[in-house]
Amino acid sequence: MKKVLFIAFTLLMTASAVSVSAQNKDRRKSFNSWDNYEITTEKVGVDGTKFVKVWGYGRTVDKAVMAAKENAVHACIFRGLPGNASAMSTPPICPNPDTLVSHEDYFQNFFAAGGPYLAYVNMTTDGVPSGTDCRKVKGGYKVAIYVQVMYDNLKHKLEADGIARKLSSGF
Amino acid sequence: MKKSLIMAALLLACSVSGWSQAKKPTIMVVPSEAFCTRNGFTQQVTTTGAVSVAPDYARAMRENSDIRTLVSAMGDFMAKNDFPIQSLEQELKRLQTEDAELAMMTGKSGGEINETPLERLRRTAKADIILDLDYEIHRNGPRKQVSFNLQAIDAYSSKLISGNTGLSSDANVPMTTLLEECVLSFKDNFLSGLQHYFDDLFANGREVSVTLLCYDNCPIDFEEEFEINGEPYELAEIIEAWMADNTVEGRFTTAAKSANRLRFNQVRIPLYAQNMNGRDVAIDAEAFARPLIRMLKKKPYSLVVGSSPRGLGEVWITIGDK
Repeated sequence: MKKVLFIAFTLLMTASAVSVSAQNKDRRKSFNSWDNYEITTEKVGVDGTKFVKVWGYGRTVDKAVMAAKENAVHACIFRGLPGNASAMSTPPICPNPDTLVSHEDYFQNFFAAGGPYLAYVNMTTDGVPSGTDCRKVKGGYKVAIYVQVMYDNLKHKLEADGIARKLSSGF
Repeated sequence: MKKSLIMAALLLACSVSGWSQAKKPTIMVVPSEAFCTRNGFTQQVTTTGAVSVAPDYARAMRENSDIRTLVSAMGDFMAKNDFPIQSLEQELKRLQTEDAELAMMTGKSGGEINETPLERLRRTAKADIILDLDYEIHRNGPRKQVSFNLQAIDAYSSKLISGNTGLSSDANVPMTTLLEECVLSFKDNFLSGLQHYFDDLFANGREVSVTLLCYDNCPIDFEEEFEINGEPYELAEIIEAWMADNTVEGRFTTAAKSANRLRFNQVRIPLYAQNMNGRDVAIDAEAFARPLIRMLKKKPYSLVVGSSPRGLGEVWITIGDK
């Protein structure tokens, strides 16, 4: 009887361990996924810019802030920005879902640490995010920053580099 | 030798890219009819005895400074995208001056410029893409809010290319600030809609309309039968077969078919064709229809055929007279 109970207990523990491990794996996956971030348009930015609130994950607050900046530029290029009550949604500069794969080398370099993407992000909040904008999560921090993305400059750069199509191309 | 070959290849590439520029559609911002009616910018127009109310664009542009602000802001971002828009205000002024000059113009021997009533009617402000603009100001005490509606319409197919509606923020600021905010709000969405339209144009050809009309002095109509390969076919059928052979992937719709009138819409034409010297050139609806006109002039049809373009995307072909 004891033996049966012991086997059942062992099986139960193994199953729950496997389940927890799978959950951790899923969390790690979503933690590392580039598509896992939230971004909202705050208001209509001044001409040629987008004013957004964007979240980023990182082991430290600084790394999370850098990730948030990357996410802001990534959203403008590949995902688009959602609208709100007074600002219409903004379509992505590269609406073709294959652009990232077909120009992988270009974007590896563009989004490298200290890469060209930084020229298109202006921080609009001073200092380290605090309060509800800085959350401790398992494995690091999740922070939100308010940034101004130089959308038109970014678009012109990608057009000049042959990544995005110009409105007047072909005419 | 290698160097000269490379140079020749480069020159060829340059010349090919020079030929392969499609005709750029013209874009014009026009206040919507609803806006003109709401704000009293209307005029009575008498056409063939019938009186109707039409928008008075010249007065709207002259008396409403907000429209000018919106047009300037839109003109600015379109110019930044290498797509300058035509100014409705300037076009109307140009037509006025043209009218005055044509009335005064005489040749050295006293000859006057000929203009048929139809030519005069067609000499109006027009563009290939119309940006139909409407906005309304909502007041809530000292605070103002602007609701806007901008539609980009293909002037020939009357299809909506891009539609944008929205609200500005609710604030106690000058009207100009709210209007500029509106333009900045819809700008990128609007440009994306245009880009999508142009991408479709390059992939599937330009969408045009072709109308064939029969004058009453024409000896035949579109139901007249001709023998092709020993089989009798109606002229309308023969023209439909020509359309199927010459459109992009045979795409067209026969919208109207009768003894005296044939109308094809959703006609997808290639952007380029060879001209009489065998050179690739960008074409519009009239250039697309020229081979059909030549075919109808030849035997066994031997018809008198005229053509009349209505902008880049529509052509009227008349048989029996020019």
